[in-house]
Amino acid sequence: MSEYDELNKKLTLKLVFYGPALSGKTTNLTRLHDLLDPELKGEMMILETKNDRTLFFDLLPLGMTTPTGFFIKLKLFTVPGQVAHDSTRKAVLSRADGVVFVADSQISQSINNAESFQNLSENAARVGLDFETMPMVVQFNKRDLPDIQTEEEVNQRWKSMPWELFFSCALQGDGVKETFAGLLKALYRKINADYKLEQEHQLTESEFIEGVIGKSL
Amino acid sequence: MNEFNETLPLADFDREMTLHELLSSINIESLASSIEILLGDNYCLKTSNDEVVMGRLLTGETRLVEIRPELESVGCLIVEKNIDDKLVDAVRKILELLLKSSIRYLMASDLHLQTVQSDYHDLKKKHQALQESEDRYKDLAENLECRVAEQVKTIDRAQRQLYQAEKLASVGQLAAGVAHEINNPVGFIQSNLAVSKKYVEDFFLFSEILGKEDDVQVLRNAWKQLDLDFTVEDFKNLIDESLDGAKRVTKIVSQLKEFSNVDHSKVEIIDVNDRIVTACNIAELEINKKAELIQSLSTLPGLKCQSGQLSQVFLNILLNAKQAVGVDGRIVVTSLYRDGNIIVEISDNGPGISADSLSRIFDPFYTTKDVGEGTGLGLTVSRDIIVNHDGDIVVESKKGEGTTVRISLPVKT
Repeated sequence: MSEYDELNKKLTLKLVFYGPALSGKTTNLTRLHDLLDPELKGEMMILETKNDRTLFFDLLPLGMTTPTGFFIKLKLFTVPGQVAHDSTRKAVLSRADGVVFVADSQISQSINNAESFQNLSENAARVGLDFETMPMVVQFNKRDLPDIQTEEEVNQRWKSMPWELFFSCALQGDGVKETFAGLLKALYRKINADYKLEQEHQLTESEFIEGVIGKSL
Repeated sequence: MNEFNETLPLADFDREMTLHELLSSINIESLASSIEILLGDNYCLKTSNDEVVMGRLLTGETRLVEIRPELESVGCLIVEKNIDDKLVDAVRKILELLLKSSIRYLMASDLHLQTVQSDYHDLKKKHQALQESEDRYKDLAENLECRVAEQVKTIDRAQRQLYQAEKLASVGQLAAGVAHEINNPVGFIQSNLAVSKKYVEDFFLFSEILGKEDDVQVLRNAWKQLDLDFTVEDFKNLIDESLDGAKRVTKIVSQLKEFSNVDHSKVEIIDVNDRIVTACNIAELEINKKAELIQSLSTLPGLKCQSGQLSQVFLNILLNAKQAVGVDGRIVVTSLYRDGNIIVEISDNGPGISADSLSRIFDPFYTTKDVGEGTGLGLTVSRDIIVNHDGDIVVESKKGEGTTVRISLPVKT
């Protein structure tokens, strides 16, 4: 859950990139580090990898200030996708304010996507997140590969779901920023009322997104 | 035993960390002496809350440099105004690098602790589930004997009920025949008695004449007129016939008695031939079918058995045979003693049994008879009885060639 510190004029938000192993969560974060131009951007912290696979998590901190001088800090995490690291996934997911589900578009990975999504909903329940109302977007990554599900198929399959869909090629950086902007939009709509972002801090939705992503989008 | 204190409240791995926390794993003296080489003792490291962590409070003109290992300041470095910018910047960078690595380390180790605790918790749950399952099996194993005994009792009770049902069914089947067979002699005994009453009245009339008349000729005429020669002759026949009928009723009743107490029949040593004869006699009472019943019985040794049950078996099989045969029906009952076994064979010249039916012939409730005519339990119960006597029962049959039921019972000394 977000931390709202009235005294130090600071709001901390936690966003998590979830998804099956090797779907491109770390790549998303790396690209965001390169592409985003917020007021404050920390260095990317990559925790202990083994053969380039995430063991703990990756972390990218971002920050912006509202017109009223309130500091908003966003901590972007990835979870380890491999099935064995479920406890770590659960710990990283706990108290998340928003989730990007990164799916692998390859037809051969459909089952892994479904299992990971199931795992996300189970872990969300375990750590006390309301899966139904939690801000989330779904990204179908690796659009540059052959043997992938078509956009029509994906749209058809997900059309009854409430989450916005994005298509990306994270390695080239395509769609990465758009996905993240989509999450920021959903996030703003969820927390605006709670923290009176617009009313008290004079921060509109587009200003929030622009503040985090930078003016280049 | 509880080495891992699970009630230990763990800090969230992704919490905001204070300067104190970040320096907790670092040797402060060693760091301070390194910084002193660069800045001398004219510096001060303070937390965001203005607590001094290293160096000393300075007087005079100072400069303040924020330390931001991540996004935000965790504290600041205060130095004398005239110290070289490059040196200050170098110290700031060294501190930030050190603190960043400290953040990495603390996050990883806290996350590790958190996952270990959660895994340990899960393992304990699994262990508990296993323990419960093991206890259940232990309990089951310990009570198995009791439960088997209980089940055996239940099965035993069910079997008794089966026997009872089957006995009732055979009795029902017999009732009509028995009624007829008893009704018949009782009928003619009744009519004989009615005629006898008339005869006695005739003798009474003659005795009245005898009291009044002395003339032999008149008496002879009266005797003739009353036809008393015939009466004397017929009276004797009537009584003989009635006695014979009464004997038949007595016999039937005594034979039926043997079937009335199958469940509680006691173990006794009997001649199996006696039971065969009784069963044959009862079977003959079945009026619906007439069949020739041939008995070919050899001398047998005594058999220790529950005789009432054996009678029921023979009757079951004989009734089946009788139902099977058509016009010119013939049933042959043979008994003999061979190699320590009493063998009883009941053969008929009926239409035989198909291979399909033959394979299921001992199955409970399997019957080819119309609804209401058979329970499908006769042969099941018969086999149970024979098996209880350590014996064996076999049915041999071919479609169109009749059926033979062979029972063998071991004679134990």
